[in-house]
Amino acid sequence: MNDVRLTVNGVERHAAVEPRRTLADFLRDDLGLTGTHVGCEHGVCGACTVLVDGEPARSCLMLAVQADGLHVRTIEGLADADGSLSPVQEAFRDEHGFQCGFCTPGFLMTVEAFLAENPDPSDLEIREALSGNLCRCTGYDSIVAGVKLAAERLRSGVGVPA
Amino acid sequence: MSTVVGPARYVGASVHRVEDARVLTGHGRYVDDVSLPGMLHAAFLRSPYPHAKIERIDVEAARALEGVVGVWTGADLAAAGVYPMQIPEPAPPDYLRPVFPILATERVRMIGDPVALVVAESRYVAEDALQLIEVDYEPLAAVGSAEAGLAEGAPIVFEEIGTNLIHHDQAEYGDVDAAFAEADVVVRATWQQQRLTNTPMETRGGVADYDPGRDELTYYAATQGPQLVRMFVAGLIQHPVQQMRVLGPGDIGGSFGQKVGVTREEVAVCFASKALRRPVKWIEDRVENLTVGGQAREETAEAAFAVKKDGTILGLDVKLTMDHGAYPLLPISTAIFTTLIKVMLPSFLRTRNYRWASQTVVTNKAAYVPYRGPWAMETWVRESMLAKVARELGLPVEEVYRKNMIPLDEQPTTMATGPTLEGMTARDTLERALKLVDVPAFRAEQERLRGEGRYLGLGIGVFIEAAPGPPDFGEITGLGAPRDPARARLEPDGKVTVFTAQVPHGQGHETTLAQVAADELGVPFEHVRIVHSDTRDAPFTLIGTGGSRAATMGTGAALAASRALKGKILELGGQVLEAAPDDLELVDAVVRPKDAPDRGMPLAQLAQVAYFMPPEGMEGGLNANDAFPQPRGGWVAATHVCVVDVDVETGEVRIPRYLVVEDCGTMINPAIVDGQVRGGVAQGIGLALLEETVYDEDAQLLTSTFMDYVMPTAVEIPHIEIDHLESEPLAEVNSRGVGEGGAIGAPAAVANAISDALSPFGVAVDRLPASPARILELLGRA
Repeated sequence: MNDVRLTVNGVERHAAVEPRRTLADFLRDDLGLTGTHVGCEHGVCGACTVLVDGEPARSCLMLAVQADGLHVRTIEGLADADGSLSPVQEAFRDEHGFQCGFCTPGFLMTVEAFLAENPDPSDLEIREALSGNLCRCTGYDSIVAGVKLAAERLRSGVGVPA
Repeated sequence: MSTVVGPARYVGASVHRVEDARVLTGHGRYVDDVSLPGMLHAAFLRSPYPHAKIERIDVEAARALEGVVGVWTGADLAAAGVYPMQIPEPAPPDYLRPVFPILATERVRMIGDPVALVVAESRYVAEDALQLIEVDYEPLAAVGSAEAGLAEGAPIVFEEIGTNLIHHDQAEYGDVDAAFAEADVVVRATWQQQRLTNTPMETRGGVADYDPGRDELTYYAATQGPQLVRMFVAGLIQHPVQQMRVLGPGDIGGSFGQKVGVTREEVAVCFASKALRRPVKWIEDRVENLTVGGQAREETAEAAFAVKKDGTILGLDVKLTMDHGAYPLLPISTAIFTTLIKVMLPSFLRTRNYRWASQTVVTNKAAYVPYRGPWAMETWVRESMLAKVARELGLPVEEVYRKNMIPLDEQPTTMATGPTLEGMTARDTLERALKLVDVPAFRAEQERLRGEGRYLGLGIGVFIEAAPGPPDFGEITGLGAPRDPARARLEPDGKVTVFTAQVPHGQGHETTLAQVAADELGVPFEHVRIVHSDTRDAPFTLIGTGGSRAATMGTGAALAASRALKGKILELGGQVLEAAPDDLELVDAVVRPKDAPDRGMPLAQLAQVAYFMPPEGMEGGLNANDAFPQPRGGWVAATHVCVVDVDVETGEVRIPRYLVVEDCGTMINPAIVDGQVRGGVAQGIGLALLEETVYDEDAQLLTSTFMDYVMPTAVEIPHIEIDHLESEPLAEVNSRGVGEGGAIGAPAAVANAISDALSPFGVAVDRLPASPARILELLGRA
């Protein structure tokens, strides 16, 4: 067992974990943060994407011990404490972005990081940014629309909570 | 809410999805999120051989590993009284019914065949234990294709049925010989659709929780049909049905047909929980899912169309071969799917002359399961043939359609195979689509670009879908007539709960059915809650959600139950307000006299009367049940038009334009409808261009990860334009299913577009997927 100290959604966490435990399993089973989903366990589908020190990372390919000392953000950390949705979540709701919702956490975390880096993306840039995440339900149009709407609102400040 | 509620306030609006509040915040509850005190974890040892005899299994070292709680082989399950599986009676005529164990005993019949079950304190330990199990196999020659399975001297996969031909069928409608004798030209081709897999983003899985005190087994299942799972699993492990409850965990991460049946793994997991008296979780990993989660399609059709020079089609002759894989999926025999292909193939065509033959062949591959539009082969074959007829006769393809399609003014009539065609608008969707794409302008551009060495193509895919189909459809196909039940209950606070037999797994029924109920009852949308997917309180249907039936049947049932509840509410209101029920209305959750709206009583107050002071002769509380029978009409029609740009140097296909014109009647929630259509199209494009489950000729699987099984991303899938037609309603409930159509139309439209693009080279796509390698092969450049 190894000691791991990390910050998850702003809260300091401390645990003893087996070295082989994935970050995804640690978040889901040890911390009870089941919003992060595991879709392939080999780093292709992107459902398990979380932000590690602000950068998207596949939590199925990363070990919990590798996150020692780092800041992890998961889907549970997107909405405000009072439950109000983040601008990206709100935009996806307005555009009916998702259906079954299984891939959703990975897309949301990817988009969160993408819009921080590129606040005014073209359609092609959006599609390329999303190409590491698989969705089997939507055909992607509604997700692209959600990203565009979120970007617009974030740029203009309209529809974004103060 | 103080605004006035009128009729159709919510139906027709893209209301925010109820599901999104949880799905977007990480608070959805999928089966892998179910965690129970004392829960154990299961893993299956699976065969590395496609066909082999099991000589010996030694599980002792696995049993001895610390943290392992139980290990079972097939022999152990049999000794414990777990029954083997068999497709139940009544099976379709000529369908053979092999018997097979939950865990393989004497023989393995596919890569991934489950051989042993390990249950341990963690999944990590369970997988460690799998490594310690020793199995001696004696490899046998394997059947790698349907063709090989039919060859003389082929290895027989199920010896007790004595043949690999598990099902065959033939039929003749009209006078086919006369039609072919009269033909100017007979157009012939063979069309091959690949094997692929449904690939929901959530794999299969379940959590079984046995309560020894009550002898009750609760099973949380990612399944489209909890009632089915309950009946079959209870029977197979000899547990009283009455003491078994199957429920969805709350959310299901997609299915597309894969989670429709009863799986061997869930039987084993339920057995293990009962044997160990502890909860047991099994979550399939992706490699297992791509290996044994269920595979679909892999059909080959030899087709001949008898035609006149002017494009009139006189007769059809189609012979289909389906690769069944090894084990049947309980309880659905593949004969249902060949039957649907048979019945649907003539579709909107006017011809009455049609000959059909099919053969379904057992191979050493994973089970054939239904996949979104499991009969879609009928569309690809018919549409490819229509395009080929046009090419061979030198006619514009739209002229071939116009010559042969049954228009609205020739209805009601019947399809060549019998189902009533009424209100079927395939022709209208085609004309609208042709207008929107401006075919003459496209042809001019195509010609111009060919001069520059660029190859554009336009492909059409037209289909009709029985979603749910006319009342005689079930009798003709043998599927039976659907009849969906629902219950509605007025709660003590005046809110309404509707219990549906539907089992949503991404379709948003918690939203759409609440829209329907809220409008019918005259209450705010937020006052309606939809309850589903629990055998304890959901009304019974075997299927649950499947076959694109919810839009009509689930909706109709929710409407009928809401209407019945409203009748009871108005009756009670009449007693309390001293008025005739007919003189009352229910508006914005207030029961009030039509002529004195200010003298009403809020539903919340009336509910108190219903529960705590029911008038003499009235039951306490207000409940209403109703079942909804299949209405007239029932056809969805659509035309897909795809424009492709094929790079003849690399074989790559781009899709600059994709258009769907469809008629699903009244839309309950347009954003949800469009999402279903686009999602289906994306899967159809994946099928047409990328996805393929590949076995070599020895039935070794080559595509067990997402590195090998290529799924479409946001880059490959284009923007999909949708245009809706809304035909004249034939019945009150005029909303029809759109779950499967996108996936049915797209392969035909994409493949025909590529064939159109490649027509200067004299080649056409007759095998899917049309991957770059295959296109180069067609062009002789591989």
